[in-house]
Amino acid sequence: MPNNSLVILLLLLPILGFVIEAFLGKQIVKSSGESGKRLLGAVAVLVVVGSFAAAVKLAIDLAGNDPSMRSQMVTLAPWINLAGLKVPFEFLIDPLSITMALIVTGVGALIHLYATGYMVKDKDYSRFFTYMNLFIFSMLVLVTAGNLVVMFIGWEGVGLCSYLLIGFWYSDHANAKAANKAFIVTRIGDVGFMLGIFMLFTLIIGQVGSGASDGRTLSFDNLIDTLPGVMHSHPSVAVIIALLFFLAAVGKSAQFPLYFWLPDAMAGPTPVSALIHAATMVTSGVFLLNRLYLIYEAAPIAAAVVTIIGAFTAIFAALIAFSQTDIKKVLAYSTVSQVGYMFVACGAGGFSAGIFHLATHAFFKALLFLGAGAVIHSMAHNQDMRNYGKLAKYLPITAITMFIAFLAISGIPFFAGYYSKEAIFSASVGGSFAKIGSVNFGQIAGYVAIFTAFLTAIYMARLTWLTFFGREERWRLIEPHHDSVQLAGALPECVSYSDDPNGWYKAIEPESNATEPEHTLDKDHEPHEVGASMWIPMVILAVLSVVGGYALDAGRLEAWLYPVAPSSVPKLAEVPWVTPVGIAAAVLGALVGGFYYWKGLPANEGWNMSKWNPLRIFALNQFGFNSIVSDGSSEAGKEIGAALNVGVDKGIIEGILGGLALCSTGIGDLLKKLQSGYARSYALLMLAGAVVLTVWIAVVGYRGGF
Amino acid sequence: MNLINPNFISFVILALIAVGASLGVVFCKNPVRSAICLVISFCVLAVLYFTLSAEMLGITQIVVYAGAIMVLFLFVVMLLTTANQESLNPKLDWRLILASLFAVGLIAVIGFRALLPFNQTITPRAPDGYGGPQELGMALFTRFGYPFEAISLLLMVGIVGSILLAKRRVR
Amino acid sequence: MNGVPLGGYLLLGLLMFAIGVLGVVLRRSPVVIFMCIELMLNAANLTFLSFARYLPSLRSDDPAMLSRQAVSGEMMVIFVMAIAAAEVAVGLGIIMAIFRLRDKVDVDDLNVLRG
Repeated sequence: MPNNSLVILLLLLPILGFVIEAFLGKQIVKSSGESGKRLLGAVAVLVVVGSFAAAVKLAIDLAGNDPSMRSQMVTLAPWINLAGLKVPFEFLIDPLSITMALIVTGVGALIHLYATGYMVKDKDYSRFFTYMNLFIFSMLVLVTAGNLVVMFIGWEGVGLCSYLLIGFWYSDHANAKAANKAFIVTRIGDVGFMLGIFMLFTLIIGQVGSGASDGRTLSFDNLIDTLPGVMHSHPSVAVIIALLFFLAAVGKSAQFPLYFWLPDAMAGPTPVSALIHAATMVTSGVFLLNRLYLIYEAAPIAAAVVTIIGAFTAIFAALIAFSQTDIKKVLAYSTVSQVGYMFVACGAGGFSAGIFHLATHAFFKALLFLGAGAVIHSMAHNQDMRNYGKLAKYLPITAITMFIAFLAISGIPFFAGYYSKEAIFSASVGGSFAKIGSVNFGQIAGYVAIFTAFLTAIYMARLTWLTFFGREERWRLIEPHHDSVQLAGALPECVSYSDDPNGWYKAIEPESNATEPEHTLDKDHEPHEVGASMWIPMVILAVLSVVGGYALDAGRLEAWLYPVAPSSVPKLAEVPWVTPVGIAAAVLGALVGGFYYWKGLPANEGWNMSKWNPLRIFALNQFGFNSIVSDGSSEAGKEIGAALNVGVDKGIIEGILGGLALCSTGIGDLLKKLQSGYARSYALLMLAGAVVLTVWIAVVGYRGGF
Repeated sequence: MNLINPNFISFVILALIAVGASLGVVFCKNPVRSAICLVISFCVLAVLYFTLSAEMLGITQIVVYAGAIMVLFLFVVMLLTTANQESLNPKLDWRLILASLFAVGLIAVIGFRALLPFNQTITPRAPDGYGGPQELGMALFTRFGYPFEAISLLLMVGIVGSILLAKRRVR
Repeated sequence: MNGVPLGGYLLLGLLMFAIGVLGVVLRRSPVVIFMCIELMLNAANLTFLSFARYLPSLRSDDPAMLSRQAVSGEMMVIFVMAIAAAEVAVGLGIIMAIFRLRDKVDVDDLNVLRG
C-alpha cells in the first residue's frame, strides 16, 4: 500500500474510534448495558490495534529501504499558506517517528485492552474510551508530525487529553484540581515551545538564503538542512533556542522544577496513569529533543543544562519515592526519575540511548502501573501500601509480572532495563560533549545516574516486598489502626479538598462518580486475581520487559535511528568499568531492599507517623518544594493580584475613566449656565454673535479692499 | 462743505426726531407711550420715504403701519395693562451695559467701514416712473407674481392663526 | 433728496436698528419687544429704499435695467410690510393667549426650557 493511505489509516483509526465512542457510546451503554460496554471496549481496542498494524507495515516498508531513503514526508492537506511561510498538514515517516508510533500504539493497545476490564463497572465507560482514543490520535500526531507547528498541535492535544483523563472522576474536586494543576504546569512548558518556534523561525529567515525555497521553513526535512549551518554560526542564540525547547520538555516530561503535577495526576484512573504518565506523554519531551538534536549538537552549554537537570531530577525523585506510601505515587516519582535518565542520555549526546530507555521504560513502567492497578482493583481501591502484604499468594500472575518489571527497572542483567541503562551510562560517562567551560557535566550526570540506579533498585524492592511478600497479611487488620498517628504538617495533601463551600464543583449528574468497590475488604473477603482482559496485557508486557532490551541492543537501535551519526559530537570514550559498576549497583540495591523489607513493614514506616525518620517526612513533603511552588506562587499571585487591583485597576484605570466622566460633567455644568431659559439672554447672545460676525467681515474683509 | 444745504438740514431734523422717537420706544416706562413714540417714528419714516421719491410706499407705510398695526398694538396694550406693571422696566444691570456697548460697537464698526464711501451729495436722477403705483403694480403682478401669491397665503395663515389663538375656549 | 448723501440715510437706518436691538434685549414686556422688532424692520425698509433710490450712482447700466432693479427694492419693502403685519397679528394673539393663563406677561417667566 502506498504510504499516503497507510498514514491516513494510522491517524484516522483512533479518530474513528473517538467519534463512535463520543456520539454513540452513551446510547449504546444505556440501551445494551454489559454487552454494549463490551462492544464499545472492542471498538476502542480494535482501532488502536489497527493503528498498530498500520505502523508495523510502515516500519517494514521503511526498513526495506536504503538507510538514506528512510525519511518520507506525507502531506495530507495545506494549511498556512503565506508568502514567507508554508505550513501544511504534513507527517514525516522516518525511523524515529515510526519507533515512537509503534510504542504508542502497541503499548496503547495493550492498555486499552486492560482498561476494558478495569473500567467495566464505571458508568462513564464510553467517555473514558472517547478520551483515550483521542489521546492516541494526539500522540500519533505529535510523533509523526512533519513540522514544528503540527507537532505543537499534537503537543497541545495530549495536554488536553491528559487534563480530561486525570479529571475523569470530576465530581470529586480534588481530581479536578489535579487536572488543572497538570494542564497549567505543562502550559508553562508550552510557552517555551512557542517561543522556541518563533525564535527559530526568525533566526532562519534572518539568515539570508536559509529560508526554505518552498517556504516550508519549519518542516523537519528542511530543518535538517538548515539547522547545522544556522546553529553553528549563532552559538549563543542556539543555546537560547535549545533551552526554550528544553523548557517545553521539562513541562511535559515532568522534570525539576515542573514535575510536581505528576504525583497529583495519579488521581486519574490507573490505565490513564499507565498510558499517559508512564509510557507516552511524559516521554514526548525526550522525543522533542531527539527531533531537534541538531540544535543541541551546536549548543554544548544547553546540552550540559539538560543532563544536569535530568540527573538532578532523577536523584531528587528517587529520594522522594522512599517516603511515599501510596503505590501509585511511588510509581509516579519513579517515572519522573526514569525520564530524568532519558534526559541525561540526550544531553550527553547519546540521543539514541534516550530513545532506547524510552522504549524499555514504556514496557516495564506500563507493566508496573497495570500491576498496581490490578492490586488496587483487588484490594477494593485501597492504595496505601501499608495495607498490603503477602499478596503473592492471592494474585500470582500479578506478582510474577510485577516482579519481572521490578527486575527490569532495577537494571538487573539480561532484563530490558539493564541494556538501556547501560547504554545511558556509557553515553554519559564516556561522552565529552556536554561541557560548560571545561567541566564535563555529562560525566557528573553519569555518576549521579549510576548512584540513582542503586536507589531505584532499593525503592522498587521496597514496593515489591511491601506489596507481595512480607510476613503478615496486613490487610486483614484494616479496621481501625490503634496506633495510627497522623502528623499535622506531614502530609501536604492533608488539606481537605472535598469541601466545596461555594458549590462550584457539584456533579452535574449525581451518580456520575461511578466506581463503587465491588466488595469491601475485611478479614472474611480475600483478594482475588484479576480477569483475563487485565492479565493478558500484563503478561505480554512482561515478556517484552525480558526480551525487549536484548532485541534492541547491540547498536541496532542506534543504527536504525541515526544511520548518520551527528558530526560534532565527539566519539565516545571506551569506559570499561561502567558495565560492572552498573550491574553491581543494581544487584546490590535489589538485595539491600529485599533484605530490609523481607519481613514486611518496619515500625518506623508504619501508621504511626511520629515514629518516622524526619528525613522521610521531609521527603514526603517533596523537600519543601511543593509548598514553595504551590503556596508560594498562589500566595504571591494573590498578593500581586490584590496590589494590581488596588493600584492599577482601581487607581489608574478607574481614575482615568472617572476623570473623563468628571470632565464631561464639568463641561456640562458650565454649559448648562448658557441655557437659562431667558429669552432675553438668548437674544443678547444672538446680538453678540451678530456683532462678532459683522466686525469680522468689516475688519478682515476690508483688508482685501472694498 | 456742500453739506450745508436746506435739504440736508431738514433731513437732519427729521432724523433726529426719528431717533428720538426710537429711544422713546425703548425707554418709556408706559407701554402706551412707547406705542405713541413708535407711531411718531413711523410717520417720520413715511416723510423720509417721500424724500426718497417712493411716494406710494410712504402712503402705504402710514396706512398699514401707523394705521393698522399700531392700532392693533394699542388694543393689545390696553387689554394687557394690569396693575402690576412696575417690574417691566429695564433695570440698570449688566445686560443693559453690555447691550449698549454692543450696539455702539455695531454702529461704530459699520459706520466706519461701510458708510464713509457713500458721501456724494449729488443725488442721481431717479428712473422714470420710480415710486409711482403704475411701476409698482406692474412689477408686483408680473415679475413678482409668485412672491405675491406666497405673501397672500402667508396673510391668510396669519388670519387663521390669530383667530385660533384669540378664540375663547369652549367650556 | 438732492444734497443728502446716501450715507446719511444709511446711518439713520443703522441707528434705528441698533436702538431696536437694544430694546429687544432690555425690555421685559413682550408687547414692547414686538414694537422694537417693528422698529428694526422699518430700519431695514429704509435701508432698502435708500439703496434703491441711489442705485444709479452705484451702478452704470442702461436705464431700463436700472429701473427694473430699483423697483425690486421697493418690492422688498412691500413684502416686508406684509410679513410684519402677519407676524404682528399672530404674535399678539400668542401674547393674549399667554395672558389668559397667567395674569401678568413677563418674558422672564417663560423659562421652562432652562437647562
